[in-house]
Amino acid sequence: MTSPARIVLIALVGVPLLVAVPWIGTPVVVQFGINMLLMATLAQGWNIIGGYTGYSSFGNSVFFGLGAYGVGIAMAQFDQPFWAGLGLGLLLAVGFALVIGLPVLRLKGHYFAIATLGLAEVVTAIVSNIPIAGQNVGLVLPLLKSDVLFYELALGLLLLSTLVVFWLSRSRFGLGLIAIRENEEAAAAMGVCTTRYKILAFMLSAALTSLAGGINAYYITFIDPAGAFDITLNVKMIIMAVFGGPGTVLGPVAGALLLSLVSEILSSKVTNIAGFFFGAVIIAAVVLMPRGLSDLIRQFRGTGWRYFLQNIRDHRL
Amino acid sequence: MFRTLITLGFLACTSLTWADTLTLGASVQLTGPVANTGRYYKDAYEFAVERINASGGITVGGVHHTLALKLLDNQSDVNLSVRQYVQLLSEDKVNLLLGPFASNFVLADSAISEKFQVPMVQGGGASDQIYSRGYRYIFGTLPPASNYFGTTIDTLLKLTPKPSRIALLYADDAFDVSVAQGARAQLSQAGFQTVIDERYTSNTSDFTSLLSRIKSSAVEVVLVAGHETEALNFIRQAKSLSVSPKLYAFTVGVPSADFRQALGNDANYAGGMTAWLPSKSLKDAWFGDAEQFARAYQAKYGYEPDYHAASGVATVEALVRAIEAANSLDPKKVRDALAQVNFPSLYGQISFGATGQISLPQTMIQVQNGKVVAIYGPGGFLGKLQYPMPAWGKR
Repeated sequence: MTSPARIVLIALVGVPLLVAVPWIGTPVVVQFGINMLLMATLAQGWNIIGGYTGYSSFGNSVFFGLGAYGVGIAMAQFDQPFWAGLGLGLLLAVGFALVIGLPVLRLKGHYFAIATLGLAEVVTAIVSNIPIAGQNVGLVLPLLKSDVLFYELALGLLLLSTLVVFWLSRSRFGLGLIAIRENEEAAAAMGVCTTRYKILAFMLSAALTSLAGGINAYYITFIDPAGAFDITLNVKMIIMAVFGGPGTVLGPVAGALLLSLVSEILSSKVTNIAGFFFGAVIIAAVVLMPRGLSDLIRQFRGTGWRYFLQNIRDHRL
Repeated sequence: MFRTLITLGFLACTSLTWADTLTLGASVQLTGPVANTGRYYKDAYEFAVERINASGGITVGGVHHTLALKLLDNQSDVNLSVRQYVQLLSEDKVNLLLGPFASNFVLADSAISEKFQVPMVQGGGASDQIYSRGYRYIFGTLPPASNYFGTTIDTLLKLTPKPSRIALLYADDAFDVSVAQGARAQLSQAGFQTVIDERYTSNTSDFTSLLSRIKSSAVEVVLVAGHETEALNFIRQAKSLSVSPKLYAFTVGVPSADFRQALGNDANYAGGMTAWLPSKSLKDAWFGDAEQFARAYQAKYGYEPDYHAASGVATVEALVRAIEAANSLDPKKVRDALAQVNFPSLYGQISFGATGQISLPQTMIQVQNGKVVAIYGPGGFLGKLQYPMPAWGKR
């Protein structure tokens, strides 16, 4: 079966099942679903800039936070509806990606990663001083007692981001991004306008990430700078995307699903030492399957268990 | 037939044990960045439940119940703590809720108690925002942030000669900003002149420029709302620059043993506050009094309890009192009873205002010869304030 056909099949079976979760699952499953779907969206958003374009962004948590503040400011300060807040957050994040992308996307590799790492700190400091954003005190949002709505919104957003990435994987634009990842000079020589492509990819990534931030803000009902621009969230998206397989359509979603599930089971069953186990899972994954789940699935049929040994040997561990 | 009887017997047994246990649920920071304070709540909850069971548990509707505790570790992650409270209510079927530590956690988790309409009594969040949302199912045993310096300012008013030039310094986090807002209003109402009103970055280690300003503008009293490490740095740098106002007072740090150990003799004269002191005058139905509680706690867990621990115990006691008063386990009835509770405890007199928050005055304290001495409480002076403090060279 070809890859697009398989994706369509997975979608036909999986999507109706996911939509029905609030009616067949317990409240805990729904809560977990909301967090997991939003996490998968973040991983998918990171996938566009990190996986396809090859720029490891540590600035995506800023987009998440701006999305959250869009909703927070619109709802808590101006009594606007949630949708207006999502729009405001989207504008803030995409605008920020454009303005900041122009200078930082000139950097490559570690330099790009470090420059974006600084962004979260800078934006936290700025937001902490803006009265309309509640400064350090944060903003309190109204309570909505419908978890079904949050769940379906998160699911819809994940579907949207996956469709975007699916389109990306087959479009001229997406191929241009892959060309940039593989060799930026060669891509430029072949006629890819690298600056425009990179900035568009950054803005697209920002758009999806900010929507997830907006939904999360309304769901948690409270935002403050430290929580909204939390850098560990960015680390999580990278871990999930890389675990699943960066630069693939379903890899980040599968990675987020699997890792969230493992982390959730650990934290509710062996509650005290969950962090330790989760760390062990990550280390094992990096050592045994550094190219992610999707590569594992593709190669495992041919090589069997030797796949893991081969990886250890290849990376001289 | 025989098999049916056995099954029935089992059913009866299980339903009996079910009816006999009353479970309180909480998700607390046992690991992660704030686990160091989270442990106070774990230990306090466990200690209180153990002690209440040892003295006969609780009787509801004529049926005797023992308390059980279901504790989960939220790894200092807000999202996880929200999920865990949902799990506690919907899967573990706990009867009532105890709170996590820290205001941002309480803000998110109180949305769950509100959604499920099960009361949560929490002793870990003091931010005024928790109570500004009109939630009906959240109750708290930490006094409002905006009144933290209230007693200190009352003390200043009683001093002769009365100081006039005050500096107010505060860290830029949510809690300390609220503390400063309250203090600013109280200072101007009391007629003090706030010559320096300055916000600094949390976890800053450099107070030299602020200290120079304090020296040059002849400040008499410095009020600092911040964190323990900042208080330590402030005092060390004040010594090295030999800046000695007539008094300085801090929101946190001063009551803890670590603080006095870290500074040695330099800790002397530092003013501070505590919502709780382990004194004999605080009577308690289960622990005798606060002093006995502190001794038993120290013996059991190997460290001194502070106000976090006492506040945690008070939340368990408040729930127990409310259940007794409601004579029911119905969350809505317990909620209404909570709004009415009024009883003395090792933490202080427990009763909740209209918004659900306790109103408990701080006690002003001062380190004198390496010991914490209570200076001023709601009833007036409890001890003599060493004022003004001597210059650094004359100690």
